[in-house]
Amino acid sequence: MAEEPIQLDALGASGAYRSRRRQTVEDVAGSPVAELTLVPGLFVGRTMKALHRARTLPAPERIAALARAGSLFAEGVFDGLGPAGYRRTVSRVSGVPVSVVAEAAAAISEAAGTAGETAYAAKPAAAVSDWRSPETTKGSAVWTRRGDVFAVHAAGNHPGPHSLWLEALALGYRVAVRPSRREPFTPHRLVLALREAGFGPDHVALLPTDHGTADAILRDADLGLAYGGDDVVAKYAGSGVLPQGPGRSKILVTADTDWRAHLDTIVASVAHQGGVACINATSVLVEGDPAPLAEALAERLATLPTLPPEDEGAVLSAQPVDSARALEKHLLSRAAGTTAWLGGDGVVEELPGGGAVLRPAVHQVAEAGAEQHRVELPFPCVWVGPWSPSDGVGPLRDSLVLTVMTEQDALVDELVAEPSISNVYRGDHPTYWIRPGVPHDGYLGEFLMRTKTVIRD
Amino acid sequence: MALADPVLDSPKEAAADPDAFVRAAMHWHFSPGTGSPFWLARRSELGFDPLTDIRGHADLARFPNLASELREAPVGELIPRGYGERPDVVGVYESGGTTGAPKRIALLQDWLDQLLAWSSGQLDAHGVPQDVNWLVVAPSGPHMVGDVIKRQTAYRGGLAFTVDLDPRWVKQLISGGRAAEADAYAEHIVDQAAYALRSQEIGVLMCTPPVLERISRRDELAELVNRKVRAINWVGTQMDADTRHLYRTEVFPDAVLYSGYGSTLILGNASERPGLTDDDPCVYDPFSPYMSFGVVDPESGEPVEYGERGQVVMHHVSRSLLLPANLERDTGLRVEPLPGQVGDSVADIAPVATFEDQNVIEGVY
Repeated sequence: MAEEPIQLDALGASGAYRSRRRQTVEDVAGSPVAELTLVPGLFVGRTMKALHRARTLPAPERIAALARAGSLFAEGVFDGLGPAGYRRTVSRVSGVPVSVVAEAAAAISEAAGTAGETAYAAKPAAAVSDWRSPETTKGSAVWTRRGDVFAVHAAGNHPGPHSLWLEALALGYRVAVRPSRREPFTPHRLVLALREAGFGPDHVALLPTDHGTADAILRDADLGLAYGGDDVVAKYAGSGVLPQGPGRSKILVTADTDWRAHLDTIVASVAHQGGVACINATSVLVEGDPAPLAEALAERLATLPTLPPEDEGAVLSAQPVDSARALEKHLLSRAAGTTAWLGGDGVVEELPGGGAVLRPAVHQVAEAGAEQHRVELPFPCVWVGPWSPSDGVGPLRDSLVLTVMTEQDALVDELVAEPSISNVYRGDHPTYWIRPGVPHDGYLGEFLMRTKTVIRD
Repeated sequence: MALADPVLDSPKEAAADPDAFVRAAMHWHFSPGTGSPFWLARRSELGFDPLTDIRGHADLARFPNLASELREAPVGELIPRGYGERPDVVGVYESGGTTGAPKRIALLQDWLDQLLAWSSGQLDAHGVPQDVNWLVVAPSGPHMVGDVIKRQTAYRGGLAFTVDLDPRWVKQLISGGRAAEADAYAEHIVDQAAYALRSQEIGVLMCTPPVLERISRRDELAELVNRKVRAINWVGTQMDADTRHLYRTEVFPDAVLYSGYGSTLILGNASERPGLTDDDPCVYDPFSPYMSFGVVDPESGEPVEYGERGQVVMHHVSRSLLLPANLERDTGLRVEPLPGQVGDSVADIAPVATFEDQNVIEGVY
């Protein structure tokens, strides 16, 4: 590609900042697409200090600015990219199918428009959001921020999670985002849109850093959000940083329900959005013989086409060949001892234009407690296994989403009560179902806000 | 002092004929009446005769790297006999001690006098003022830097205020994953620097990049530095070009910002070459011919091309010490030397390269 790479500057408190030290962002074929500024720690410290000094916009102004930003994000031209160019670029660098990027971009735009309501969905019923409310004359809970500056270590697997931190802006936090170095385009576009819509450069900032400087952003914030695996969860447990860990979403079908009537939903839960999301099903557990279900899943998933991610018909995600091969090797080693129904000889199919698609994999495991149920990989990779009532809730723990297809209220009672299951969908609902206003992993507001009593004359 | 030889004691004459200087040094260090017990004992094991085979600076590369023997060698045996019964020893100092037991050397007064005269000239070239006080946030013994800078400050007519720090303990905290303790220790250092900055006239601040960043993060201290400090000398670790530019343009725009690089085993340090821009890497020109650098391929030991990165080799040759061919843990870019300088200059010093883990990490992020 002879085109000049796009310059993705940091967005600091005094505007755009271009460092000498930059990282090349490549597409899945290895062609350079952008040069991303990497800011030094000194720059992080100065930007975070400016965010602390800034004054939050009054609620009506920031809600209106968020809505404007939503439209600008959807329709504007930023970094030389209009909406179509943005979608294509994100699909080329992240490997996420372009139709999925389009859906995610629309969701981000919608989330910006509704953040003023969704962010406040977490407010306790007895609390008011402003001390001036009449309720406080008799004494009332007021919902207030636990801090002023919020930092996000963003993920690059899928643009969708960027809609979450918009709620922090809606609640009056100043926000610093460290983008993923794999896909920095979405937060760059979003921060530019927010600034054009009225947020000051000291209200929302974009701070790309190398690995060694990343922690400085969280250190200098009051509260933070970090995406990652079990290591990230362990590192930040109990701290002022809310970890967003593995999804390990699952589907359970009990004997009183015929999975054949729900095969579409099960297939879609595994493969929707190229399987890159934490809300894709990692495991399907079935009371009875799992083999027919595994066979049916494999048959359906095998028909998905291999296309480059920017193709409108693409449904599978792509990666650079090396990382796709590494994931394949990892899958094959973790799958040892299981029965392969699809992908047992490998899942990588190289694309003529460079890069490789990760094709689906279906493996049958022998027990409900099989260790493979913890192996979540960023493509349609599903472990199908048996479950019986004697296994209980244990094998269903640690799930972001659990879709349960059953007639048994008592089982649903147990699953809803289980603390390590974040969302329970009963019946014919795919694991990826999500709407603005329902919590994804609890409301962010539960973490960002607290109540305090105010009484006044 | 026995065997007076002008080329060994006059930097001017040594610089005029560096090879004659090396030959004179060989004569001094390997003659039974003047050499050190350490070198005299090893002369027969070298596989060459230093008196006849070492004809100039280029031949120093023939020496084996004996630096690791300085972990065990009695340090008194490193002092040349030619200094007599009561050598004027400034102190015994140790290398960093990050990899195993530390290496020890003795610093003698006559060498320190030469070093201070030379390094003071470097500071003048940077525009660092004389007759001002220094705040030296650097380790005292067993490390050499604190003592040398204290004496340099006196040499230039100022008082030195010191804040001690223990780099070995910091490294232990960090390698042990005790980030909170390392953080608390660093804040403790800055707290102490703050007392001196508030109450004393400080014209020059010497510290590491992490301490400087912490000082800049406290508004009160940043303001004090901007009001009082006319030069900032950073040492000890790296500072990238973007950070240097931010300090010079936004954070401490009125102070001279310059770096130093040295090693205990070369018995000295060099300030960065004056006149570099923010886009240049920091280049260090040693006090030739006493201190000299080479930049080599760690596999082959051969010099890398100019502009390429390699491992830094250091030689020290003076009347007080012979320590050639010491391979440092640092890497640097090989840079063409200044006219008349032996060996290479080095730039953009960095620790031995580390790479981010390429292992597959499970999960979708």
